[in-house]
Amino acid sequence: MGRRAARRGISAARVTLRSAFVTCGLLLLLLLAAILLTSFLGSERLPARATMCALLSLGNSSCGLTSEQSAILLEIRLPRILLAAAVGASLAAAGASYQALLRNPLAEPYLLGISNAAAVGTMIALVFFGTLEWSRPLMAFIGALLATLVVYRLGQGRAGATPERLILAGVIVTTFLSSAIVFVTTLMDATRIRSFTFWLLGDLSGATTSLLMLAMFVAVVGTIVLTMNARSLNLLMLGERDAFDLGVEVTRVRLVVFVAASLLVGSSVASGGSVGYVGLVVPHLVRLSFGSDNRLTIPAAALAGALFVVVADTVARTIIAPRELPVGAITALIGAPLFVYLLKRR
Amino acid sequence: MRLFLFRHPGKFKSVRVVVFLVGTALVLASSCSTPPEAPTRNNADLRQVTDEAGRKVSVPATIERFISLAPNLTEIAYALGAGDRLVGNTTYCDYPEQAKTVQKVGDTLQPNVERILALRPQLILISTSSQLEAFTRQLQEHAIPVYVTDPHDLEGVFRSIQNLGQLLDRQAQAEQLVDKLRSRIAVVEDAVKNRKPVRVFYQLSAEPLYTAGRDAFVTDLIRRAGGLSVTADVPEAWPRYSEESVVAARPEAVILPAGGSMGAANADVASGLKKSPAVLNGRVFKINGDFLVRPGPRAVDGLEAIARAMHPEVFK
Repeated sequence: MGRRAARRGISAARVTLRSAFVTCGLLLLLLLAAILLTSFLGSERLPARATMCALLSLGNSSCGLTSEQSAILLEIRLPRILLAAAVGASLAAAGASYQALLRNPLAEPYLLGISNAAAVGTMIALVFFGTLEWSRPLMAFIGALLATLVVYRLGQGRAGATPERLILAGVIVTTFLSSAIVFVTTLMDATRIRSFTFWLLGDLSGATTSLLMLAMFVAVVGTIVLTMNARSLNLLMLGERDAFDLGVEVTRVRLVVFVAASLLVGSSVASGGSVGYVGLVVPHLVRLSFGSDNRLTIPAAALAGALFVVVADTVARTIIAPRELPVGAITALIGAPLFVYLLKRR
Repeated sequence: MRLFLFRHPGKFKSVRVVVFLVGTALVLASSCSTPPEAPTRNNADLRQVTDEAGRKVSVPATIERFISLAPNLTEIAYALGAGDRLVGNTTYCDYPEQAKTVQKVGDTLQPNVERILALRPQLILISTSSQLEAFTRQLQEHAIPVYVTDPHDLEGVFRSIQNLGQLLDRQAQAEQLVDKLRSRIAVVEDAVKNRKPVRVFYQLSAEPLYTAGRDAFVTDLIRRAGGLSVTADVPEAWPRYSEESVVAARPEAVILPAGGSMGAANADVASGLKKSPAVLNGRVFKINGDFLVRPGPRAVDGLEAIARAMHPEVFK
């Protein structure tokens, strides 16, 4: 890797290892700052100095917070912010790699129906194996993987994949799965329907510690795996045949990326519902800022995605406090107009 | 159109056919739109009433067949002794026992219009809590009078009971029922009058956390039962509530609507309540949710249940 590999990269903007590290380092610092800052915001006001002290001591000292206040900070608010970061990173990294692999700027877990498939998987797990906690992320992953394969196959016409064809395939899968969701919800009783409609729009509250740990672990490992395949993805953006001629093991790379991206989408949907547009908006903004070399785009998108969802969820949980909005409503409010803009520009 | 005809003169014939078909369809449609006469109604015994939503409705003076589209109205109808004239209700209408055997016309959110028409009702009773405003207009097009009730608190329940008594010619029974309920309420209010209100959290569901807000019927019940809902000022009836706020609220008691049609979905308190005074002191109360969310006669059972839970010492 390093300079020589960078020179062989196809991107217009030349990315060196150092500049990639600097960019990602800056984004990481920004993310940590956002996590720290948003810990001070919530429906309940906490004393700022004690909060700072408790955060810096990582919960080892109460710093004069009452037991309720420290529970609010360390058991409710901080886990939720971390989950927001994990979900944002997962969706943005998955989105960036779908866009590279499918050679389609509009490829995004939500628009391709992959989030919906993970949601259906989670719902099936809840209905049939409600007591087994790990069944939710597992079924979500299986759903996401199946949908990815179906969309990929449907998008592949005789004349090769065109962006329009792929989006149409995504629409078909999305609407089909939406009907499936409606069907499953009508089989449930009224109180559970209410919780599902909220969860379907993205709901980061109430994830258990184990789900949070899983989401963070998958976010980090998945992003690393995708970044390791970024050079192949760069070449794949030329077309699968050209990439093959240039020595890329197309089938293997495709499989690895599909599985890693599906894992990312699956774990984030299982713990946070379908948060839309993160996988679209964030990678595009990253490419506009830093160029389209996937070795930088994927990790930078993961960090920026985490930042985006942390901020969006803070808005969702504070703007009408003590009530809450689904975070997906906030990301969609920002994402949908940007999507239209990108579509127009293309 | 002109340009089209000019280019393809051969299509002219088909255009005429289309015009003919459309015309025929219009004639047929207009002849159908005059409503069929309802079976036992002639215009002479119609009377004008104003329903609780302020709409003017013409209803037959004597009603032999009616449909209830809300479980609380079904309960009121049976309590007034008019249940034998109920020809249709919803899948949620499960009380009293006889209500279960009445023909079901769907649930409160999606009633089946075809089945409703087939039952030839002279009156349909609707509660605003079942959100059927659009549906009301649809039924009105079929010339079936729709009476909307709008109870928000116990006084509203009494008003609905009296109004249904008038509609169903059961005025005396309605007055009797209201008097009986009022005296039961008076007993409760008298008992808790000098007690310190208990701070209550009403948990509709734990994950995600939903509670009862300002506009919920149960908020009024809790207040009258000598409690104070910690979410009494939150806008909406059923708000999605912040996990942080519920920890900070430190409620002294938690009410879980459970049993009845609410099922077992709400079996445990939210994780944020685990260290609240309510849980530490074992003051978590499961109360039949049907008593708490249905603005009907059994709401007074709910009031009594809440009061006994909040102030056990005065109900020995």
